Amino acid sequence: MLESYIPIIIIIVIAVIFGIVNVFFSSLFGPKRPNKEKLSTYESGIEPIGTAHERFSVKFYMVAVLFILFDIEVVFLYPWAAAFINLESAKMLYSFISVSVFIVILLIGYIYVIKKGALKWD
Amino acid sequence: MIQLHEIYEVIPLVLIAFAACAILVIEAFSKKGSSAVYGFSIITVTGAIAASFLSLNKELIIFNQFLRISNASVMFSVIILAGILITIIASKNYIEKENINFGEYYSLILFSVLGMMLMVFANDLLIIFIGLELMSVCFYVLAGFLRLRQKSNESALKYFLLGAFITGFILYGIALIYGISGTTNLAELYNQKKLFTNYVFIIGFALFLIGFLFKIGVFPFHMWIPDVYDGAPTTLSGMFSTAGKIAAVGTILPIILALNITNFKLIFSVAAVATMMYGNVIALAQSNMKRLLAYSSIASAGYIFVGVAAMNEFALKGIAYYLIAYTFMQLGAFIIVSILEKKDDGSRDYKNVDIDFYKGLGKRNPLMATFMTIFLFSLAGIPPFAGFWGKYYLFYAAIQANLIWLSVIGILLSLIGVYYYLKITVYMWFHESTDLVTAGYEKEPVSRSGIFATSLAVVGTVVLGLDPNMFFRIFKMIAE
Repeated sequence: MLESYIPIIIIIVIAVIFGIVNVFFSSLFGPKRPNKEKLSTYESGIEPIGTAHERFSVKFYMVAVLFILFDIEVVFLYPWAAAFINLESAKMLYSFISVSVFIVILLIGYIYVIKKGALKWD
Repeated sequence: MIQLHEIYEVIPLVLIAFAACAILVIEAFSKKGSSAVYGFSIITVTGAIAASFLSLNKELIIFNQFLRISNASVMFSVIILAGILITIIASKNYIEKENINFGEYYSLILFSVLGMMLMVFANDLLIIFIGLELMSVCFYVLAGFLRLRQKSNESALKYFLLGAFITGFILYGIALIYGISGTTNLAELYNQKKLFTNYVFIIGFALFLIGFLFKIGVFPFHMWIPDVYDGAPTTLSGMFSTAGKIAAVGTILPIILALNITNFKLIFSVAAVATMMYGNVIALAQSNMKRLLAYSSIASAGYIFVGVAAMNEFALKGIAYYLIAYTFMQLGAFIIVSILEKKDDGSRDYKNVDIDFYKGLGKRNPLMATFMTIFLFSLAGIPPFAGFWGKYYLFYAAIQANLIWLSVIGILLSLIGVYYYLKITVYMWFHESTDLVTAGYEKEPVSRSGIFATSLAVVGTVVLGLDPNMFFRIFKMIAE
């Protein structure tokens, strides 16, 4: 039974060796000609202002969390929509009801979010 | 495919799921501070209790073999719902006092109940996992519900980090069990022979078990309990320590039974002894009432595990009886602490939860002092109350299972417990009030909903204690 895992182990070993060799050898043999521009945070961009470890407004998190939630809803709908057309008619209704329940639950969340003003920026 | 009639078998679950969603909508459209959701959630939970009895005396496996209805699961769900009902009734006054009167409070409680009932009714490891997560995630949020208070935040974060870590244990355990048996379905799992000759299965089951020992609060996995119960809003500490634990016991107990595990007996006995010892001995040194009750709930988990170690007919009855008695007395004690707590004044800690505050309570508030005395006597295991019979059944079961050493140690350790319960009682009745008691207290009369909730718990504690067989008799009667 364990023999079937040998290819996976070989791949893992190759991946580790590949990573180490690339990073280690390029830093060992690569040319190093540093200058001020190269060492700055963005070589070709805006000058950085302050550090990145600042406090952000909670509004950003709200939008991010809600985005992920409804994004995942769509991700779940895709495979269902793709499989729906090939279903037999009895199962079609069943799957339609199942997905409707799923969407209604998210809709309740959506109404809640709108009414609570979580998507208002000001 | 799911048949429509299968919905009728799980009316309590459907009812609570609908109500939890509906509360969110009602809350979004109603004015701030309205008590519509309060009444609505009480009605829902009462309805769910009534509807639970409809599915008695049925042995069904429904919803693509995901759920299983049996008398044991219905009984556990009724006990959970009873605890939740008392919590919700007592909550209104408390959350108004603490300035957290949001409808989400009730919605989260109902969602967590949904998780607990899913766990209890589950016939599949994945449903257990979903139920457990639904319950735990709601608990993490509820623990931090007093969001302006540091202690509450600390409690929520500790609970979340440890709970999320333990979730990994459970999931890995399920993966290993699936890897060996090829199924996550419990009914199919029970039919397989020789599972316990396989080391990988034992490791998987042990990981799964550890997750539940964590939720119940058995010795090596108890460390989160005092901090979380101390920091969480007081009514919710009561809910965590009763309903949350009952759901975990009600899930793992049928599995332990059906798999007929014999090689874990010594482990369960040692865990029971360590838990009782830890809970009772550390509680002696507590000066905070919420922490004291938290340690007492650890000790109670130890008594329950005496029954789990014994694992015979008496033990099952004992565990069921102890759980319902424990719901009433532990929840009642926590609710009284919440009633006596001082109104929120923006401080970082809870006020009036030191045991010194209870000095002279008998004169200042005789009713609450009497109720508290009943709960403490019951927790200590003094005869006329329900707690005594719970311990009696559990230790008797241990003797029947030839675990005489375990029951002797258990009785000795519960004697240690009597000291700190009686200490509070002596404080209440035989000490004078200290200066610590602030003037703000007398001005706040105890609310009617608070008195009603604690009276329910008192009635449960006393009536069950006077007629220990009543609960089972009523259950049988309704079943027939």
